[in-house]
Amino acid sequence: MEEVIQLEKLTKTYGTRRGLLELDLAVANGEVFGYLGPNGAGKSTTIRLLLDHIRPTSGRARLFGRDPREDAVELHRRIGYLAGDFVVNPRQRVGECLTFLADLRGGVPRARIEELAARLDLDLAARIKALSKGNRQKVGLVQAFMHRPDLLILDEPTSGLDPLVQQTFLDLVREAKAAGQTVFMSSHIMTEVEAVADRVGIIREGRLVALDTVARLRDHARHRFEITFTGPIDQAALAALPGISDLTINGPTAGFALATDPNELITVLARHQVASLRASEPDLEELFFAYYRTTEAAKETARA
Amino acid sequence: MPDILTKTLWDSRRSLAGFAVGTALVGAMYAGFYPQVADGAMGEAVDGFSPALREALNMEDIASAAGYLGSSVYGIIVPLIAVIYGIATGTRAIAGDEEAGYLDLLLAHPVGRTRLLLHRCAALAIGAFGLAALLLLAMLAVRPSAQLDTVSIGQFAAQSVALALLCTVFGAIAIAIGAATGSRAAALAGSAAIGVLAYATNTFASQIGADGLRYISPFHYYIGNEPLRNGFQWADLGILTAAVGVLVLIATAAFRRRDLTS
Repeated sequence: MEEVIQLEKLTKTYGTRRGLLELDLAVANGEVFGYLGPNGAGKSTTIRLLLDHIRPTSGRARLFGRDPREDAVELHRRIGYLAGDFVVNPRQRVGECLTFLADLRGGVPRARIEELAARLDLDLAARIKALSKGNRQKVGLVQAFMHRPDLLILDEPTSGLDPLVQQTFLDLVREAKAAGQTVFMSSHIMTEVEAVADRVGIIREGRLVALDTVARLRDHARHRFEITFTGPIDQAALAALPGISDLTINGPTAGFALATDPNELITVLARHQVASLRASEPDLEELFFAYYRTTEAAKETARA
Repeated sequence: MPDILTKTLWDSRRSLAGFAVGTALVGAMYAGFYPQVADGAMGEAVDGFSPALREALNMEDIASAAGYLGSSVYGIIVPLIAVIYGIATGTRAIAGDEEAGYLDLLLAHPVGRTRLLLHRCAALAIGAFGLAALLLLAMLAVRPSAQLDTVSIGQFAAQSVALALLCTVFGAIAIAIGAATGSRAAALAGSAAIGVLAYATNTFASQIGADGLRYISPFHYYIGNEPLRNGFQWADLGILTAAVGVLVLIATAAFRRRDLTS
């Protein structure tokens, strides 16, 4: 399968400050890739390198097999980009701004712009300076999606959007995926990425610390269980389960987290009378913080 | 086709209109004082100045129309406003828009850095020529009533072209500094400092016995050979144009090489 994004030992340093360190990453055609990390981890640095806004210190990036710098103009025709803090000259009208940007790409049918604006409830006649932060971000969403680019590069796309619009945004991403477009989106909000991404990379201090499919990351995650029994609880059997932690018994109810598949648990439960069972879906948020806790802990250890 | 050039001009229409109308009004107003000066009151006052001061202020021939316009209107006020317009426009063209975050989006579109910079330079030059043209129209409008008929239309036009190029030179300096540094403050302060130094060099070079120094000042090529008296100074206009060309080349090379600031 064709790789749309290919990063090889991509490194960017700002003076003594590290931006990215030997990042290897490939995003396949048609994939929705979630790029997660806290602010300052290197997400925007990566995206700015892809767009040729900045140049790598070493290593290389390839988009559609081509060089982001040499072939910038050709590549940008195939890319839609949205920054988290989308800013344009505030004195123009929304429609004027979008038409101008569309014309830079050789034009976009008026109906397409109107359709997107209607879905996002964006007034094309308004002056941009009169818009709230969320509504400005909608202008950014329209310009990124309107020309149906082969690759969408979205940097913190939902910042400032209200939950309803976030849903519309996720629909847009799903439609893009269905149409075969590739999406590379960064975020520090796990749930929005989790909902649409095929794969997720977690970046921390310029390094990729995790890279896997959402499904498999979820498998590694700890599921939380709350089970209420009608009979007595065999606490020893529960405590002996592989991968169990945080076991608490509260009257007839046992609560714990399980890091493995639940087969062993089911065997144990089969010997009991169970009144109710609640297993919560682990979200990436929890996973994400698990990664950070690990690194923080390692740091503490190193310091001690 | 609506492109960066027309969009830049359109977005700056208020600023450009303000500067152009302001320059034309101030120019026409000062030109309108000429009949009183020609009457001799001003001439007598200037006669009291020392010869060196008269030379420095370019007031050796204040009583003639060309002398009066060359020392007052085209000597100080109008080039000051035009250069301020050039520096403000040039600063905004790259560094200002970059710091505001506008360039990130533009350069994520199929727009090369060279193309962006050239369009911004072209918008600057068109604005400068528009400003100079409106001033020319205003001067021609007051010319009969202000007794400025001794300066021909061609001579007014020659000085106006030189003004437009002077404005473009300082705008290009601001663009070049902004393109190299990405800093709005550096572009503004740097080009303003160069403007003041260049004006002072042209004005006072002969007083400090360094006559040759004035040849490094754009102001010399703007008015040194008195287009209001001698018509089009093609060599001077050529040098100003070449200066713009060199500045644009430097700006392009620097802008292509560096990282955008975030």
